[in-house]
Amino acid sequence: MSKYKLHPISALINLVKAIKDMAVPIIIIVVANGFNFTVDFRDENFFSQMIPLLILLVVVGFTFVGGILKWWTFRYWFEDSELRVEYGLFVKKKRYIPFERIQSLNYREGIFHRIFGLVQVQVETAGSKTGKPEAELTAITRIAADQIEQEMNQAKLGQQPVEEHKVQLPAGHIIHKMSPKDLIVLATTSSGIGVVIFGVFAALSQFAEYIPFDWIYDEFTHLIQYGIALVASLIFFALLGAWIISVAITLLNYYDFTVTEENDRLIITRGLLEKKRITIPLNRIQAIKIVENPLRQPFGLATVQVESAGGGFTSAEDKKITLFPLISKKEAMVRLSVLFPQFQLNMEDVDMIKPPKRARSYFYRIDFLWLLPLIAVPTYFFFPYGLLTALLVVPIILLGIWQHKTARFFLFDSQLTIVYRHISRITFLVEKRRIQVAEQRQSYFQKRRQLATGRIVVMSGMTGAEARAYHMEQADIEDMMDWFEHKKTSAE
Amino acid sequence: MREQPKHKIPQKGITVWRIYGILQTFFLAVAAGVTSFLTYYFEGPFYLHLIAWGVVVIAFVLLIWMFPNIRYRIWRYEVREQEIEIQSGLFVVTRTLIPMVRVQHVDTEQGPILKRYGLSNISISSAATTHTIPFLETDEADRLRARISELARVAEEDV
Repeated sequence: MSKYKLHPISALINLVKAIKDMAVPIIIIVVANGFNFTVDFRDENFFSQMIPLLILLVVVGFTFVGGILKWWTFRYWFEDSELRVEYGLFVKKKRYIPFERIQSLNYREGIFHRIFGLVQVQVETAGSKTGKPEAELTAITRIAADQIEQEMNQAKLGQQPVEEHKVQLPAGHIIHKMSPKDLIVLATTSSGIGVVIFGVFAALSQFAEYIPFDWIYDEFTHLIQYGIALVASLIFFALLGAWIISVAITLLNYYDFTVTEENDRLIITRGLLEKKRITIPLNRIQAIKIVENPLRQPFGLATVQVESAGGGFTSAEDKKITLFPLISKKEAMVRLSVLFPQFQLNMEDVDMIKPPKRARSYFYRIDFLWLLPLIAVPTYFFFPYGLLTALLVVPIILLGIWQHKTARFFLFDSQLTIVYRHISRITFLVEKRRIQVAEQRQSYFQKRRQLATGRIVVMSGMTGAEARAYHMEQADIEDMMDWFEHKKTSAE
Repeated sequence: MREQPKHKIPQKGITVWRIYGILQTFFLAVAAGVTSFLTYYFEGPFYLHLIAWGVVVIAFVLLIWMFPNIRYRIWRYEVREQEIEIQSGLFVVTRTLIPMVRVQHVDTEQGPILKRYGLSNISISSAATTHTIPFLETDEADRLRARISELARVAEEDV
């Protein structure tokens, strides 16, 4: 049978990736040397200064050769309904992955890939819990990628000849496509906006001429105020720049965001310069998370994420798979009910369980612990103006009251819904059979007033994801524990 | 009120926690010694001595005397047919419920200190989390491990 190689460009891609990974040490070395590399080899310091550079060069050289070798020796082929991968010169690495265990093929197209019409394929299996894909084909042609998928489907069909009469959906049944308008709203209201607000405050602060410098150092007043104005506007522009960059990054990443459903799998494609295509089998989805940040909540806008078992795309930003980056909540519910008919999504008509009134102070008083030094230290050093930090107590208490108002949960037959807020309001929906572990947590102070916090953990990526129902009536949390425990009734 | 899990851990557990406490306090004392020496050598302010040794005294009282007793009072466990329940904690009492269907594997382990007292830890892993019941009699730990892995195999998804 024929064995296939990767496209030669993968050697280059390997190198670029290795250099990217080494960026931090390189920068550290350059900075540590204070940029004063001398090119004059007669200088007595020449060699000592060159040593770190030489080491770097050697390392880069090695990775370059390594990348070429990996490409040179890399083979993949199909045999016995397995995908087999083999590479290595001295130490041969072989990996055989049965097609039936392959959960998804994820594609990524970086800039190099786009130029040559290639894709990077990551093979995910249910067992890849190390967080890394089971196998990675750095660069192959589109046609070769399709061939893998064909081989895989063929093998799967071959093993179950009595496949039920599954109605083949017209390939690619689009669930959601983000409009350019949504994309812009998403980019401009993403967390980057916090930076801008901060920047505006910094800029405004220069107009606050009540700064006590006047009567402390009268002579320097003008100079210092001028300095502050300068620094403040510098900070403002720096933050504005950071925000514009964050908007640009969001635009690039989420450009043409499309979710399609195909044979009980969700396929998410996105990206402008670098295209990504992630496949998630619907039955691997553990929980749904609807996130409404305070800026978007008043407009009824939300982000919907899913927690999926198995790696997904492996970098940290992608750990949570975003299903709908920005969508009106109503519309989200409609689409979710199509995708997940087993979920009870209606939350308006049910009486959700809320924390009692006496629980309210519990939402903020723990924060006083870290606030105390934050207030005490400035007060000590900048008396009396340091006392102003005590005003921090107000927003903390208000946030706590808001959290108390938001918190609620509900037990359906086989589904748990928890709504909570840290800053964004999060609605966490999970089926009972997906919950790994349930916990009742109670501090000494909670116990005195018969309150308790409930916590559940579901599988997600490597570590799992959790949701908490904070400071509820102890009896209600005990009900939750009973609900989770009571499997006997259904078995008997 | 839900009932507490049935079994407490053996009383020897307190002793082991105390030993851990002694070790931790010892390391803190070494750190305090170094701090004191440096303060003396570089003629630092006197209160640095006070802080360093204050920490050690507090650690001594808490880690060796108070915490082991509190932990012993709180720790409980119970293995039932359908689930494992563990109660643990110090300031926050946590009651964890792990359904048998979710158990992926069970391990027991024993370090040199535990070996001396004939104790073992048993840890139960689900797909997302790991939970440890500390300081069980080694026989009991082995028996539990066998029992849990058996129950976990039999347990079926019924939802």
